[in-house]
Amino acid sequence: MSPASKALAEFVAEATEILEALGKDLLVLDERRGQEADPERVNGIFRAAHSLKGLAGLFGQERISRLAHGTEDLLDRLRLGKLLLDDAVLDTLIEALDAFQALLAETAHGSESEGLSRRAEGMAERLGRLGAPVAARDEDPLDRLELDAQVRAVFTEYEEHRLRENVRRGVSLWRVRAAFDLSDFDKGLADLNARLKPLGEVISTLPSAQPGGAHGIAFDLIFGAQVAQAELESGLKGTPAELSQLTVRPSSASARSAEALSRAPLAQAESHAALVVASPTDVLPQTPATRRGGRKKGARATPAPAATAPGARAGDASHPVVESRRAAAPEARADAGPPPGPGPASQAWLPLADPATWGARPGPASGDWALSADETRSGVEATEGHEEVAAGRGTRPARGPVGNPGAASVVEARSQGGRGPGTSGPVPSLVTYLQGPGGRAPGRTAPASDRPAAPAPVPAESSLRSLTQTVRVDIGRLDGLINMVGELLLIKANLQRLAESARVDGAVPLSKLFGQELARETRGLERKLEALQEGLLEARMVPVGQVFDKLARLVRRITREAGKEIDFVIGGGEVELDKLIVEELSDPLMHLIRNAIDHGVEPPEVRLAAGKPRRAVVALRAEQKGNHVVIEVSDDGAGIDELRVREVALGRGLITFAQAEEMGRRELLNLIFLPGFSTARSVSELSGRGVGLDVVKNNLGNLSGIIDVWSERGKGTAFHLTLPVTLAIIRALVVGVSARTYAVPLNSVLEILSVQPGDIRTLERREVLDVRGQTLPFVRLSRLFGLPERPVSRYFVVVVGLAQERLGIAVDELHGQQDIVTKPLGGRLQSVRGISGATDLGNRRTVLVLDVAALLEEGMAQERRRA
Amino acid sequence: MSRFAELLDDFFYRPDEDVGGLQDFASGSDGASSLLPEEVPEEYLAFRLEGESYAVPIRAVREISKVPPLTEIPRAEPQLLGLMNLRGELLPAYDVKVRLGLAEKAPLVAGPEAPPPPRDARIIVLRTQTGPAGVWVDGVAGVVKLKPSMLEPPPASLRMGDRDCVVGIGRRGPSLYILLDPEQALAP
Amino acid sequence: MGHRPGRVLMRVKVLIVEDSKASREYIASTVEAVEGIDAVVTSSGFEALKLLPRHRFDLIITDINMPDINGLELINFVKKNPNYRDVPLFIITTEGREQDRDRGMALGAAEYLVKPFQPGSLESLLRRYLKLP
Repeated sequence: MSPASKALAEFVAEATEILEALGKDLLVLDERRGQEADPERVNGIFRAAHSLKGLAGLFGQERISRLAHGTEDLLDRLRLGKLLLDDAVLDTLIEALDAFQALLAETAHGSESEGLSRRAEGMAERLGRLGAPVAARDEDPLDRLELDAQVRAVFTEYEEHRLRENVRRGVSLWRVRAAFDLSDFDKGLADLNARLKPLGEVISTLPSAQPGGAHGIAFDLIFGAQVAQAELESGLKGTPAELSQLTVRPSSASARSAEALSRAPLAQAESHAALVVASPTDVLPQTPATRRGGRKKGARATPAPAATAPGARAGDASHPVVESRRAAAPEARADAGPPPGPGPASQAWLPLADPATWGARPGPASGDWALSADETRSGVEATEGHEEVAAGRGTRPARGPVGNPGAASVVEARSQGGRGPGTSGPVPSLVTYLQGPGGRAPGRTAPASDRPAAPAPVPAESSLRSLTQTVRVDIGRLDGLINMVGELLLIKANLQRLAESARVDGAVPLSKLFGQELARETRGLERKLEALQEGLLEARMVPVGQVFDKLARLVRRITREAGKEIDFVIGGGEVELDKLIVEELSDPLMHLIRNAIDHGVEPPEVRLAAGKPRRAVVALRAEQKGNHVVIEVSDDGAGIDELRVREVALGRGLITFAQAEEMGRRELLNLIFLPGFSTARSVSELSGRGVGLDVVKNNLGNLSGIIDVWSERGKGTAFHLTLPVTLAIIRALVVGVSARTYAVPLNSVLEILSVQPGDIRTLERREVLDVRGQTLPFVRLSRLFGLPERPVSRYFVVVVGLAQERLGIAVDELHGQQDIVTKPLGGRLQSVRGISGATDLGNRRTVLVLDVAALLEEGMAQERRRA
Repeated sequence: MSRFAELLDDFFYRPDEDVGGLQDFASGSDGASSLLPEEVPEEYLAFRLEGESYAVPIRAVREISKVPPLTEIPRAEPQLLGLMNLRGELLPAYDVKVRLGLAEKAPLVAGPEAPPPPRDARIIVLRTQTGPAGVWVDGVAGVVKLKPSMLEPPPASLRMGDRDCVVGIGRRGPSLYILLDPEQALAP
Repeated sequence: MGHRPGRVLMRVKVLIVEDSKASREYIASTVEAVEGIDAVVTSSGFEALKLLPRHRFDLIITDINMPDINGLELINFVKKNPNYRDVPLFIITTEGREQDRDRGMALGAAEYLVKPFQPGSLESLLRRYLKLP
């Protein structure tokens, strides 16, 4: 690559990242139209535009730079409170994003079209004119804050603005001082931030100018608390933080406190609703925290504190009114006069008292609550979705000059729970994503509400992460590394053999010491390999949210075209899958979603007539289950009529009448995946689009995944895609049959049975096994593969399963387990059935890896044919 | 090995290489040149299949390998001999004898029942549009340069089963080479 | 600290704090193009705080807008700390951020550069402050 094209590629890569982050944040803002925007998110978007401008400038990308300049300018006014974020502004920002993407695409291809240049130019101009200025205020609330001028001098304009906003709202302001060891202060700070975030706003982080000793460093965090002092203190318990409250002199407009008081009862009612609804999602974060615990993602993980803090709030759910009142207290105090407690001399450091002393409630969520929330979760999702929407509308924080900290804190806590990987569970956070349709004028409901909710990718610790710290690794380079791991594994196996023979075989003229040493080296090598392997695998893993976000944008357009009213719900975007799988998923998923929108979901009038809510819900959810990820695409539409499926399948000669008689509902439904079943004409009568559910199935098969469908007439349809987490390095069971060796991915092996030939029964001309009272379909691998059969005294039956399917595969021998690097057969060999790839097992032996999904498929098809 | 042969080949004296034309060119003569543009020789890799000489353009050859252990692929098309591992890269190895009418069925060269490969046998790795692919040959003869004037269309009487993969005959002195189109020879 | 005689023969070390990768590379390549300078780059203010005690930097170049601590806070930290206060510090800003730039200068930054800047302008500043020929 020439230096120029390399530089261009670098620019495109980083700009793409920036635009992706920007797009996600905009989606969230869009989804929460009508609510007050999270200042941190607006600042994030500003930073993205700012980075883009700088970047484009450096690389001489004038068109992008100019548009970014306009965008940054607008966002700057927004974040500094000089402009209100209204619908027109948001729409323009979204349009600008589109324009950026188009510009970047042209740049990447080295072209520059006149039309686009004009469009970008016009947009930049419009951005400059846009927005109604916020009415000027006569006094600067910041003047009322007693803060060292030296400290104030370090604030950026934005931080100063946030501080001003907090003072204006009468939020209690604190200086949180904490000293850390220099070696890991960022972890300590991240932890502190994660605890503080649910309790208010971290306005600024100031490294203390005083030398903190050779190994220490102190920070002052300026913090606007949305909670009472006791809660703040209990929230910080166990951290090295010391609190001191900043003094705010009373406002001249003392009438405000009266206004705030008069609003209080309303606020309580609102927060009650929000708390009850929000709690389930707030409790859930503990699941991923546990799951991630073992995966050494130190850099990303602040799950523990993040999960505890909302949990504590969930515990409060039983007395929401009390909660509101307490939270409202500091506001009244701040407005009424000098705060009680620390008193006017508020720079004194308070030690963090035991929560009991302050009457605080116990910290972490009580197990009972978490459990019950979990149990009722699905019910809440299914039946209360619309109530939640209503609740979301109700909790819009007051927009008056004096905000209500009580309500605001509830909203904050809720959005914490629903946010990114750090805090939200694999279960969809409905609350976050269903808010959209709520507070909107009827006129613009349709286009905006179906706009999907991106799982906000920036986790709670967003302030600690750069926009550009995401690693973008070329997949080719990764594959090279993985090949290397394969070679290393080979060396390891050889070493191991050497060591074994040297130690065991006394005839070898080598000392035992040598053997021991060799063995030790081998272990060391093994450990290093494991670390390398783990690192590599993680580098390959990306959140499925990447593809979900892309789909979300498309869904908007399709919904509008189809004239449907749909809430598109996304969940589990943080679940991670191999990059390769994620990339390959978008087509099948798009297919299924399109089916759901075009054919699954009924027009609004039909739904009303059927007694269903006018708006349909189409959901896309991912959930990790062991070594697999299950992705569900569901709708609450008309469902698939299995009797029609049966008729069509009979009509096309795909099954015989006798077979049809034998088939259960589920089997009938799964006929829609048969090649030749679906054609556009026939299937639009049912609910699939028709062209190629078999193609979808094949695509998934290539990823070692399978698809399953559930549907109930009148209730809806759900497709479940079960996929392995990674394709690269897997643990495999090595088996022997007819003197050949094969590897079976262990993640799909359920158990291994030892079976005498006499145990094999023939049931209706097919071979089966009885396993604990269940009939297990069974194939002999030697027969399936047409290999010379050898007489054996007993078979080993490897029971494999994916989703509900089970199949016993009979082999002659078991050779143990081994980590293998699967290489796809690729190119010319893609069409080979039943083999997903090959691997080296040492001795330069190439061993084929069985494609369990395909074999299951084949086994089931045989069942059907024979049945 | 092929590279080496290729390099050496350039230094060999060939009576049929006419340098007179070059001299004409150098002296600025625009008179009839015996080295017409289309007379640039092309290099072919020659190999043996069942005693016959075949050749493919050298630009289609990626490398030549001794026959590694081949892993048979169950239920694959008969001409697919098996899978080979070339320094960590997995490649399919094909038989072309059946297609060329040289054998009734593909030899048993993969799997536990296969005998060790003959000493001279090689796998030629060809570049094809669907990725690299190996072809079993009984032996490699070397690199030959063939000028367009040495090429003839395939004789109508050719006993090839599949004439599409034979693009012509190369005649150089007493030697005849059957020229194969790698794409066609390996087409499914 | 500051200028030491005979320094020309020694290599000097410049810390670059910039969260945008491409900008960072650009600045780093500009800095490294000057004979005798080694660049140490980092993407965050936090990392910079960690690097400061471990190296002896002759000059610091920082962005203002960064995700963890802002550049002003870094300047303040450097300028208030007796160990680092003599290290000259440049701010990299973009157009339109005059207030932040002015604060940075008030806090003790030596120079500022507005993105996009020409490599030459940074190079001449480096030569001037690092007393390079």
